[in-house]
Amino acid sequence: MSASAINANRRVGGHRSWIRQHAVSLAFLAPAAIWLLFIVVYPTIDTVRLSLFNESATRFLGLTNYKTVFSTDTILTAFRNNVIWVLIFPFFVTTFGLIFAVLTERIRWATAFKTLIVMPIVFSTTASALVWATMLDNSPQIGAVNAAVLTVSDWFNPPGAYPVSTTAGQTVADLVGSNSRAEKNSRIVSISSARAGGMINIGLEDVSPTTLTLLKAQDAVKPQPMSGAITGVVWRAFSPSDPTNKTDILPGELGLPLIRLSLVNSQGSTVATTTTTTSGQYKFSNVGAGSFFVELVSSNFSSGFTGISWLGGSSLTPVSGLGQTAQALLSVPLADMAMIITYLWIWAGFAMVLIGAGLASLNREVLEAARIDGAKEWQVFRRVTVPMLAPVLAVVFVTMIINVLKVFDIVLNMASGSSVNATPTLAVEIYNDGFTGGVHSGVSSAIAVILFLLVLPAMIMNLKRIKGV
Amino acid sequence: MANIVQSTDLTKRRRGLSRRLPTRGPSNIILGIIAIVWLVPTVSLLVISLRPEADFGVSGWWKALLAPSSLTFSNYRVLFDQGFVAGGLLDSLMTSIEITVPATLLVVLFACFAGHSLVFGRWRGRDVVFLIVVGLMVVPVQVALIPVVQFYHELGNLFGLNPYGTIPGVIIFHVAFGLPFGIFLMRNFMSGIPKDLLEAARMEGAGEWKVFYRIVLPLALPALASLAIFQFIWVWNDLLVALVFLGGNAHTPLTVFLYDQNHELQANYWIISTGAIVSVIVPLIVFFSFQRYFVRGVLAGAVK
Amino acid sequence: MASVVLRNLTKQYSGNNAPSLDMLNLEIADGEFVCLVGPSGCGKTTALRMIAGLEDVTSGEIEIGGRIVNDLPSRDRDIALVFQSYALYPHLTVADNMSFGLKLRKVPKAEIEQAVQSAAKILDLVDLLKRKPAQLSGGQRQRVALGRALVRDPAVFLMDEPLSNLDAKLRVQTRAEIAQLHHRLQATMLYVTHDQVEAMTMADRIAVINLGVLEQYGTPRDLYNFPNNQFVAGFIGSPSMNFVSMRINRDVERVHLTGMSADSNIKVTLTDEQSDILRKSDGSDIVVGVRPEHLIEGSIDHAGFSAVAKVEVIEFLGNDEHIHATSDETDLVAILNAHSSVARGDSITLSAPLDTVHFFDPTSGLRLS
Ligand SMILES: Nc1ncnc2c1ncn2[C@@H]1O[C@H](COP(=O)(O)OP(=O)(O)OP(=O)(O)O)[C@@H](O)[C@H]1O
Ligand SMILES: [Mg+2]
Repeated sequence: MSASAINANRRVGGHRSWIRQHAVSLAFLAPAAIWLLFIVVYPTIDTVRLSLFNESATRFLGLTNYKTVFSTDTILTAFRNNVIWVLIFPFFVTTFGLIFAVLTERIRWATAFKTLIVMPIVFSTTASALVWATMLDNSPQIGAVNAAVLTVSDWFNPPGAYPVSTTAGQTVADLVGSNSRAEKNSRIVSISSARAGGMINIGLEDVSPTTLTLLKAQDAVKPQPMSGAITGVVWRAFSPSDPTNKTDILPGELGLPLIRLSLVNSQGSTVATTTTTTSGQYKFSNVGAGSFFVELVSSNFSSGFTGISWLGGSSLTPVSGLGQTAQALLSVPLADMAMIITYLWIWAGFAMVLIGAGLASLNREVLEAARIDGAKEWQVFRRVTVPMLAPVLAVVFVTMIINVLKVFDIVLNMASGSSVNATPTLAVEIYNDGFTGGVHSGVSSAIAVILFLLVLPAMIMNLKRIKGV
Repeated sequence: MANIVQSTDLTKRRRGLSRRLPTRGPSNIILGIIAIVWLVPTVSLLVISLRPEADFGVSGWWKALLAPSSLTFSNYRVLFDQGFVAGGLLDSLMTSIEITVPATLLVVLFACFAGHSLVFGRWRGRDVVFLIVVGLMVVPVQVALIPVVQFYHELGNLFGLNPYGTIPGVIIFHVAFGLPFGIFLMRNFMSGIPKDLLEAARMEGAGEWKVFYRIVLPLALPALASLAIFQFIWVWNDLLVALVFLGGNAHTPLTVFLYDQNHELQANYWIISTGAIVSVIVPLIVFFSFQRYFVRGVLAGAVK
Repeated sequence: MASVVLRNLTKQYSGNNAPSLDMLNLEIADGEFVCLVGPSGCGKTTALRMIAGLEDVTSGEIEIGGRIVNDLPSRDRDIALVFQSYALYPHLTVADNMSFGLKLRKVPKAEIEQAVQSAAKILDLVDLLKRKPAQLSGGQRQRVALGRALVRDPAVFLMDEPLSNLDAKLRVQTRAEIAQLHHRLQATMLYVTHDQVEAMTMADRIAVINLGVLEQYGTPRDLYNFPNNQFVAGFIGSPSMNFVSMRINRDVERVHLTGMSADSNIKVTLTDEQSDILRKSDGSDIVVGVRPEHLIEGSIDHAGFSAVAKVEVIEFLGNDEHIHATSDETDLVAILNAHSSVARGDSITLSAPLDTVHFFDPTSGLRLS
């Protein structure tokens, strides 16, 4: 503007007349110009200044704040997270958009589908984040994702009647009583052996009473020995009236129902299996010669699937042995992925709409020419459609890079517990450093300046593109 | 860019297309699954908000789909019955409206003015100003926060009117950051209006203001609608600006309400889900009423 | 090289009332150049696209080189199609555009190189091989589109109004190039145009289509001299044939025709045989057709057409003049020598000898002979 003003001066002979000549036009521009100058342009420049001062903006520090930025682990973590976002998200959202756009051209209910996919864009990211936090909740009673995983997992790895929560540090050995011992692979085996006509009773401890209530357990009753068979009872060896007596079956002690048992010979191989009754009794009939042990198989204690902690602090890369800074730089939190998935849900519609419009504006005859030239559908897509869409794909990609560099709401709302420290991005750091507990300018401004520098290439690309239009 | 915008007409005749693509069946199945996946979170939110508080965490929300009679509006009733207490749901809804409506109107108005000046004005340097505006479009909000907070305090020291912590403070900031996109959109649209029309009106003696509101404004209505919807949704859904500028204000918009419920007050999920539904309803209504304009805005604004 | 046979080819788009193509039967001999002409929307493109495999066949059969190809995808039909919009791959160079099909077919590199070079030589594209389509002029793009077809050496060339995007001069020039190409390759070519001049100058045979129905199929000469019906007669020839509705005067000794009004200025005198034929026909009306180029100024003494007409407009074309005149409120166009001294407003007599006059049934439009 100033350059042209100078030109005008020469031409018309005075600043004033130039202004007068265009007074009305400039008045139209004024409100926007004032607003932008005071709230966007000036503050942006001022942030650069503040980044060179101390936290209360009273003392000039030079580049100290920038040194702090690159030597603080939490901020390095934020950089790392931004890198993860930028590497993963734009690629996937563009791919999703492309796939959706191409496939919707082949269905009759395209409008309905597009509406559905676009809808999340108008939700606040806060609401979306909270929805997905629930979707991804650890508990299969809350999180639909874990519930789905549980359903699938139960087909392959059903939980036993007496699950032992290994994630909580419990082991099968905790259940073992005086007449049995824990074996490898979560099995429990009787200490004594028996021959046909004999009896083996196994008392377990630490079995949760609610489990027994659920299984409708009844008082344990010692069975009568039977010739040719091995019999016995598996019971909960705990009586309030005599807590220290672990060997005898006391009145009021409950049998353990539905325990899966194997009869194991002296060579260690299973010769028969059975299950206990509601009062904990079992019977192996027609036992052959030799002596046998009774084994409680491991599936009794399998805890099955207990839920993936999507939004917890776990890392996808092994970093436990590393130092603080190395962890900050190298860990890839699972929670990042959960957030990226949520963000995909929000933004895929945007990519789809843009790419769909690009697709609709393609010259159909070029695609037909390729088919006549001998291309199969996949080749048409790979070698003609995608290259022709390249400009649109680039726009989507760049837009999403900018978007992801600034990612904020989703992280702030989805991070909880241990992932709060694992997932922040630069935008979150700016907020945390600058605004939680009063306004502090220095380091926060330095990060903001860096963020600005990161979006600068995108700005330049936009300018080039729009100048060309 | 130009041809992306042109091709907004998605209904364009595509001859023989459907036949050429032999994979109709699989496409239907794949997209059907995707559609369900995309729908599930929204449905879950709705169902949870309609379930009794006590059911949450005991059984999954999907169980309620088999027993629809267990659903109730009691969560909504409880929150609405609170009335307009500060920090309540209704109060937040009002605050969201109080912020969003002025912020939208001002941006639309100023962007129209500026677009008019940039397209129909005859001062030199218009193109440079436009390019600056385009550059400002990607400036992250974060870059301006701290100086603006200080600027607000400065205003308080000088004139006794400190917008920090007030709703106008939030609005002022939103207007500024909505303008670059707004001006971009309006200028691009207005440059498609034939200049002859304006010249004809000028020759009949219309002044600049009359030309603006009699000719340019009516013709720019579609772009105006796109911009209004965009700005509305953008402001409605903002969390960061409200968090920063509302400071200790007792009245907060819905996004802050949800954030607080989740963080400070720790997961009263029946409140969060009910609040989220309320917060999502308004933009959804806007979206469904003006879907065409929204899509047009998306296509035109791919640079934001 | 291959022949193409269409049997009862029909296309009905869902949602349209009438079929876009109705029972088209056409035989194109090996090496023949056939033009498909007709007014806009008559179904030419539809026919071509069905042959190319881009459009489903509603009913009927398409045979290429003795093989029914109805269910074959485009890529297996061994055809090349030159699109009206050229449909060049915008992201590929001229050379890559031309070699695209061969690369897909995994033709050896050296062979591709050679095919591209020789096509480029024929079409004068050698210097443009490295450019992208956006950097070419319309005529050059057109030649690349032809080149892309040429390189493939297909059994049949299909072209859909390939010249319609060119300016008049370039069109004439490229027309000659395509005709030459055909002579050189002796390839089977099916060429769609709505420009009858293009068809007349290039084709071995012409198929005239109207409203999805084949009106006539024959050599340009046949179509011009012996049009089957009024539509073909009107469509072939430029300016179009003049048509006049006339009344058969049967009661007189020798039948003659007069205009519809009582004191008509138009009349046709007939020979004895013709007289006898028309005396036997049932109708009392008939449509008479005379080509502008057959009309002369002044009367003739033997049997034939004559009309006294008032000159309304004269179009000077250099050697000739097109005279637009009215007689009995019927417009007549005549091509006269530019040296004639006819002026606007004159009343002149226009005549044509009987052997150049065509007669058509007014209801069926069929030519009577
Ligand atoms: N995809 C389609 N769906 C429905 N109707 C169609 C379709 N394509 C063509 N038609 C109709 O079929 C008829 C024939 O169209 P076609 O394109 O074959 O005409 P044409 O002879 O090539 O005309 P032109 O000389 O203008 O190119 C037209 O009435 C047209 O509207
Ligand atoms: Mg056509």
